[in-house]
Amino acid sequence: MPTIALSQVRKTYPGSSTDAVRSLDLEIADGEFMCLLGPSGCGKTTTLRMIAGLENLSAGELRIGDRVVDSAVESTFVPPEDRKLGLVFQSYALWPHLTIERNTDFGLRLRKVPKAERIKRTDDVMRALGIEQYRDRYPSQLSGGQQQRVALARMLAVSPGVLLLDEPLSNLDARLRLEMRAELKRIHGKFGTTIVFVTHDQWEAMTLATTIAVMNDGVIQQMGTPDDIYERPANRFVAEFVGSPPINLIEQNAKTPIAAAIDSYLDGRLHDVGAVALTGIRPEAIVLHTDAKDVPQDSFNLRAEIEGVLPTGGSWIVEVRAGGQLLFMTTHVAPTLSAGDDVTMVVEPAAFHLFDTDGQRMLNADKALGRSA
Amino acid sequence: MRYKMKLTMREPTTAVGFVVAIIFAYLILLPVLSILLDAVKVQLGDARRIGGEVGDGTLYYLHRTFLSPVAQNFFWGPLKNTLSVALGAILLSFLIGTPLAWLLSRTDMFARRWFATALIVPYMLPSWTFALAWTTLFKNRTVGGQQGWLEAMGMTPPDWMSYGQFPITIILSLHYAPFIILLLGNGLRRLDSQLEDSARILGATRGQIAVQILLPLMRPALFSAALLIFAKCLGDFGVTYVLGLPVQFDVLATSLYRSIGSRQTGVAGVLAGSIMAMGIVALLIDAYVVREARRFVTVGSKGSMDRKSQLKKWRIPATGFAAVIFIISVGLPVLTLTLSTIMFVPAKFTLDNFTLQYWIGTDLETVAMRTGILLAPDMWSAAWNTLRIVGTAAVSAGFLGLLVGYVVVRTPFRPLSTFLRHVTFLPYLVPGIAFAAAYLSLFAVSHGPVPALYGTTAILILALTADQMPYASRAGISAMMQLGKEPEEAAQVAGAGWVRRMRSIVIPIQKRSLVTGVLLPFISGIKGLSLFVMLAVPSTDVLTTYSLRLIDYNYTQAANAVVLIIAAVAYFGTLLAQRLTNTNLAEGLGG
Repeated sequence: MPTIALSQVRKTYPGSSTDAVRSLDLEIADGEFMCLLGPSGCGKTTTLRMIAGLENLSAGELRIGDRVVDSAVESTFVPPEDRKLGLVFQSYALWPHLTIERNTDFGLRLRKVPKAERIKRTDDVMRALGIEQYRDRYPSQLSGGQQQRVALARMLAVSPGVLLLDEPLSNLDARLRLEMRAELKRIHGKFGTTIVFVTHDQWEAMTLATTIAVMNDGVIQQMGTPDDIYERPANRFVAEFVGSPPINLIEQNAKTPIAAAIDSYLDGRLHDVGAVALTGIRPEAIVLHTDAKDVPQDSFNLRAEIEGVLPTGGSWIVEVRAGGQLLFMTTHVAPTLSAGDDVTMVVEPAAFHLFDTDGQRMLNADKALGRSA
Repeated sequence: MRYKMKLTMREPTTAVGFVVAIIFAYLILLPVLSILLDAVKVQLGDARRIGGEVGDGTLYYLHRTFLSPVAQNFFWGPLKNTLSVALGAILLSFLIGTPLAWLLSRTDMFARRWFATALIVPYMLPSWTFALAWTTLFKNRTVGGQQGWLEAMGMTPPDWMSYGQFPITIILSLHYAPFIILLLGNGLRRLDSQLEDSARILGATRGQIAVQILLPLMRPALFSAALLIFAKCLGDFGVTYVLGLPVQFDVLATSLYRSIGSRQTGVAGVLAGSIMAMGIVALLIDAYVVREARRFVTVGSKGSMDRKSQLKKWRIPATGFAAVIFIISVGLPVLTLTLSTIMFVPAKFTLDNFTLQYWIGTDLETVAMRTGILLAPDMWSAAWNTLRIVGTAAVSAGFLGLLVGYVVVRTPFRPLSTFLRHVTFLPYLVPGIAFAAAYLSLFAVSHGPVPALYGTTAILILALTADQMPYASRAGISAMMQLGKEPEEAAQVAGAGWVRRMRSIVIPIQKRSLVTGVLLPFISGIKGLSLFVMLAVPSTDVLTTYSLRLIDYNYTQAANAVVLIIAAVAYFGTLLAQRLTNTNLAEGLGG
């Protein structure tokens, strides 16, 4: 199976003054489950469509395996029909005038696969996705989840080396989405396909991907394992975009009591790492203590007041006001506190995410705070 | 039951609904029934030949129209001509319209927006405008009067080129190609382009996509357009009247006109019934196809990703193609007609041959029409008649349409709502010429308290109002559908009675759609010919019939000038309607 490599790719739509994608470098290895994650309009779908060949590049080069399939410099362009990929759309885009079976074997017919083999492969893939009983129905007679399976089956039938998925789960309800997520993971294992998946849903990305590329404004912000992205966000955007409830961010120049407290706490631990502009603390990294005696020696601590407790079913979001700023924390232990209670909030030093004036992660600070790289 | 009745009648809505229903039963249902009955009843003057009294039932007219030796002239010949012209027009308009629809909706052709309006213009102009332009260019010595341009330049075009099937087919296809552009273009625009992308990804070439994906998905739209064109060709009278007459090329519409002209009321009834039947069958098939097509509607589509194909090196040729079609279907006819009105002798392009005298001259050397058209009192009286008749009819149709909409949407009495919806739509199924014949059959003689109306403006206004009800009532119903009950209920709670609510709430809110409901029938009435040609007499001449009379007397320049005036009113009226409603003609289609 081929590797997909984009180098210095830029895409500007005609009539638009801004680039949809600018200087993008991305390598998707064989067998990977790569997730392009970002808010709408960040260029992730454009990237996917360029890989598919539905858009051409404005600059840069795109290779699949050792073949250049699109290059603005060499002016080569391999049309989508010759790239041997699979693509599933958010709206599924099933052909409404064809039965499920004909939708599924469309690609095999185009390839003039002998009849016996075509029937066998169609049957196999329909069975694998549990849609064989609908073979004679039309797409409009199927539910969203079933349509989704047909859209997948249609592409898997031709055994593409790479499967591209454009927000395929966003039209499904929560339960079906969970089911299809498991299904996708199973397909990835079973068919051994490289999957490139576009989503704006961080949970989807976290649960499915082997590698996540977070995109914003047409640029990749960070690429790494789901763990990397969450534990070591490379910049302010990634830190804010990933995580729910969102990360607590404290502007160090805001002259709030909490900023001052963090400043003085970190001061002794950091040596010559440069000016810290922004501190981030994940909600689950905050621990609340009612008794000052329980507070660990080496940790950051600050007086705080409970503003509210929001149950989310099995876990709780607690709003606390500390040093003039509202912070969120999460807990899985039922809190005995209620609004108005005084507490001490505690944060381990390794739980601080520090960003410089450009919003970039201060990597040397991680070491100083005892955070593993 | 009594309680239910009481509740139903408490609000005047239903009572008003019944009054409206009776009006339409009289204005629409009765004339249609009357002409159908004429077909099977012994008519005045035929009593001796058929045997029996006037008014007795007879199959004589059916026999005469379908089976007798003259049936060939009355029915079968015209039927064959109608069908071959309609099929030819459908085929040709597909050839023109399909590529244009695709270019307009799915490509980056130059000046797409401009063409999107410009290519619809042929439909805004009366179809027989093109027929007049054609005769101005191609008329040969078979017919007297002013020469055609080609003839004047020394080339005599053959008869088949000047008259009959060939030019009629071409003109009708140019006139109805906008149907294809609109219906197919809308279909293509609405089509999710991901359907094509999916096929490409799976390895389909453009040709395979067109045949296996686009064509089947567009089939309902194409079929629908074809049936509409068929139904329209069935009722088209003017084009054949101008171009068919010199070579005795009759279609059903002209045959009907002749049989009325020669007082063969019974045969006319049979012919009108046949035209109606065909029109109804075509539109029923269309309704069936549209319903079937709904089966294919995909759920959960996020709508089309509007991505345009890049034509690259084909961009200029494609734009050129659209431009050529525009020039042939709009530029050339309008230019020809305009030039013909300012030239003494056809096709002699010297400065001394140009004149404005046909527009504003006095003391011309002709027998009648001794002034330019703008100074001719007949022209102004025709214009005034047009304004008066069409205006009154359009305003009545607009208000009745809103009233129908109100009753249909609001009445708790369902059968009334169903009846009103269908009866107001009926004229759509009946070609204008047959509808006019129906009016003639009913109102030519006095019935009880209603005096004979033939020759009055009243019959024109009534017929035109009824004829425009399909558009007016549809506009009214859709406008009322969008208005919730709440504004009215609020007024009701505040103590306003029904009349007060209509006046202060409903009509002001619906002002805009009321304007459309008046304007669209007005435009369609201005350019309409078939109703007037049957019902107008010289004293009630409107612009269309006046121009036809001028043609008959060979005042070519004057006739063309009148036609240009009509075309201009229709065109600018349509633009105004679009501006007022913020729509493109696509919705007002069929008028």
